[in-house]
Amino acid sequence: MEYDSVKEEMLSRIDTALKYAKSVDKNAECEIYLLYINSCNVRIQDGVVTADDGIKAGTAVRVAKGKKVSFAPSSGIELDSIKKSIQEATAIVQKLSVEDPRFDSFCPPSGAGKEGVFCSDILDVDSAYLIKAADNMISEAKSVDKRIKSVTASCSAGWTGFAVGNSTGLQQASRIAVNSCNVYCQARVGEERRQAGEYDISRERIFQHENLPTEAANKALSFLGAKKLDKTEVMPTIWNNEASASYILAGLGQAVRGNNVVEGLSPLADKIGDEIANPILSIVDDGQDATSIQTHAIDAEGHAKQKIPILEKGVLKNYLFDHYYAKIFGAESTGSSSRGGAFSSTLPYEDTATVGLSTFNVKSGNKSEEELLEEVDQGIYIYDSPMGIYHTSVETGEFSVVCPQVYLIERGEKTPIQPVSVAGKFYEGLENLRAIAKNIKKTPYAVNTPTIAFDGFSVVG
Amino acid sequence: MDTLEKAVDFGEKLGADFVEARFEDLTLRSLQKINENWKDITAKTRSGIGVVCYYKGGSGYSFTASKSDKDIQEAVERAFKIAKASVPAVSIKLGFDNQPPVKSTGSDTFTVKEHPKHHSIDEKTELVNRAMDTAKEHGENISTITGLYGELYGTKLFTNSDRSIIDWEFRVVDLVCYVVSKTKEGNMVNNLERSGGTAGFELFSKEGSTPEDIGRKAGKGAKAQLVARACPAGQFRALVDNVLAGTLAHESFGHLSEADFIVTSSSPLTGKIGTKLGSEHATIADNGVPDIEKHGGIWLPFDDQGTRSGETTMLDKGTVTHYLHSRGTAKYLKQKPTGNCRAVHFGFMPIPRMTNTYFKPGDLTEEEALELLGTGVYAIESQGGQVQGDGSFLFKARSGYWVENGEKKYPLREVSLSGNILDLLGRVEGATKDFKIRGGYFGGCGKSGQYPLPTGLGGPKLVIDSVTFGGKA
Repeated sequence: MEYDSVKEEMLSRIDTALKYAKSVDKNAECEIYLLYINSCNVRIQDGVVTADDGIKAGTAVRVAKGKKVSFAPSSGIELDSIKKSIQEATAIVQKLSVEDPRFDSFCPPSGAGKEGVFCSDILDVDSAYLIKAADNMISEAKSVDKRIKSVTASCSAGWTGFAVGNSTGLQQASRIAVNSCNVYCQARVGEERRQAGEYDISRERIFQHENLPTEAANKALSFLGAKKLDKTEVMPTIWNNEASASYILAGLGQAVRGNNVVEGLSPLADKIGDEIANPILSIVDDGQDATSIQTHAIDAEGHAKQKIPILEKGVLKNYLFDHYYAKIFGAESTGSSSRGGAFSSTLPYEDTATVGLSTFNVKSGNKSEEELLEEVDQGIYIYDSPMGIYHTSVETGEFSVVCPQVYLIERGEKTPIQPVSVAGKFYEGLENLRAIAKNIKKTPYAVNTPTIAFDGFSVVG
Repeated sequence: MDTLEKAVDFGEKLGADFVEARFEDLTLRSLQKINENWKDITAKTRSGIGVVCYYKGGSGYSFTASKSDKDIQEAVERAFKIAKASVPAVSIKLGFDNQPPVKSTGSDTFTVKEHPKHHSIDEKTELVNRAMDTAKEHGENISTITGLYGELYGTKLFTNSDRSIIDWEFRVVDLVCYVVSKTKEGNMVNNLERSGGTAGFELFSKEGSTPEDIGRKAGKGAKAQLVARACPAGQFRALVDNVLAGTLAHESFGHLSEADFIVTSSSPLTGKIGTKLGSEHATIADNGVPDIEKHGGIWLPFDDQGTRSGETTMLDKGTVTHYLHSRGTAKYLKQKPTGNCRAVHFGFMPIPRMTNTYFKPGDLTEEEALELLGTGVYAIESQGGQVQGDGSFLFKARSGYWVENGEKKYPLREVSLSGNILDLLGRVEGATKDFKIRGGYFGGCGKSGQYPLPTGLGGPKLVIDSVTFGGKA
């Protein structure tokens, strides 16, 4: 398939397949999701090249008969594959004796939003370009300092099209082209190893890899010679962009998902209108942020994607819903149906649609990161996403993570320290938030955020 | 198999030094019930071909779900094109020599008494219902119960330029019960219990693995968490249970033993063969064909490069002895291939991965282990973990006990262990006799974007001195 025609071709197959589904069982409803990913991925780790170029395509069919619902995904999007999935899913509902009493219908039509920015240059990026870019990143990193012993560079480029159609009359499609690069450097002296990474990911332009290796290498070097903190106490923690993005995604991001609210797993259920965070914190989930790689015209069940306020001056405004959970809750879909993602398998069409974030945009503060650090008598500065942050459970909100890249901060002075554990509760942390910087950055975690400082977490090092 | 052989021939004609072609046709079925609602009844089909072309020390990979000759040829062409383009960037050449062809036999597929495909959906929903009903009986203040059943089975075919012919069936089942309860203060606690691995439906009639056993443990465990105290922060002696020991073996030592990290020197185990890193009680192995009947696990007789698997001991009484290899890394590091080159799906290139990874058992009873522990934390089960390239790790146990003078005093929650594996292995003081391997359908290992790969992990219980626990100061 080609980028220009992928939407029309997929919608045409969906139209044919929906008619076929009716012929298999006229009393059943059907939803068809088609996904087509054409991508090339290159990774060079210290002279070992791993590269792949291919098409991941798949079909996900749901069939419902009354309250009985089945799901049958399969590899490929040829009409034969789609029909086979329809047959499989229909056969299951015809034999099922159990049902989902909460099932209402598949998502009705709601129009479509905007696809977001498209850069045609990305379509021309090929494996040779990616290999050269990755190789250049390795060379640049290694030239910074001879203590940089290991460098891994990855580059990828590709485009994705997906389409959804169902028995309610919904038929929509969307597509996106994205490219990215990242580089990780490991600095070594004796047995001490410290690492750091940098990245660029974009749908607006070709990725820019120059200087990223130098920044990553210098950051890794800055952690060498780290001393033990030798303390166990509650102290301020300042989380850089990537670290605070992971904090928000792992905590609030999971608690506002409608499936967790409805299933009784979110401690933020029944808290709409309550002040749950410091009033300096405002967050919007923006499914129509034109430059975000999470933006599409529609969500994974074909509903138009939207911009939804989550927190306004610390007050919880909305949860995120797909059609299923919205109906149960008594709300409207927020266009937040998603498949795949950070916590799922690597083949989105194999996952049932559930509720997901689009892009959380955190409102900028009015201090620089340096000012935030100068205000702290003694605390720690966490660089990059801590280990274990996604192994927390939304229902308890308690976390205990290890921060491998971390500094001791004393009135703005940074001293590298050995990895520390940080523990606390996500939701208490939002209330104990002490400051937000103004250095907003787009991170790869579906959260665009500045550096954020918290009080009240336990640090062990 | 003819199609795969044609793909290999075509790749060689294009100029590849060596070609591997594999096909998988897998069925994955799962059921999920949340409270009274059957949320997901799923039947997945995963079918396609993957091709690796090797050229002058480099490699390229491509794949297709299509069965047409044209699309398969295009996949081979893409794979070769990438392999050729990557040559100037390759400085660590991972080519390997031809070897005699490997041929599978019928006995390579694990025999089950009751193949899950012969059991109806009603029988499977019944398993879930039984587990959940039992959990309700034994739990307290339950706010949510989730029951899951999963099965995976299907054909894996492989051939290569050695003209190996491999044909076997991969099989996994799993039953999970997850209970969330609310304390009087309104806080939520949870517990999970499961049973799975390469087995037939008969597993769920086995003592310890019935839906009632699973539900009872899940409910009781969540109930115990209602009065659990937060784990204190600091350094304590630890007793880790079998599953957590397996997580330690997998996450913090197993990944570092994967030879793609070794050849690039990014693992701290690089160049450490023969080095004593751990105590005599620390022996860690990986095995694609464990004694499933006795200990459980996932049956993986071949990897996705056509290499027969077996037991590889990476750490023998504290001494580093072997790495986990693909054919290329084995040749580069002058060790035997170990059958550890796997991919999560035909759309991914096989890379060094684990199979079933475990500490080997010792000679203590559980009582003797508690006595040896003295005072400290007994950490139970695993909610997952993460490791960094320098050996730093973090694991979350599902629950625990504070132990004083060998006696369990009160339950703990939020039990997180962290540290550096290279330090920790030297502080393993003892291991129990009991040994089990946990594997299953749900969850799995993630590496290089390939998640979730079914793996097994386990071992005995381990007594370890001076472990850092995160928690409230």
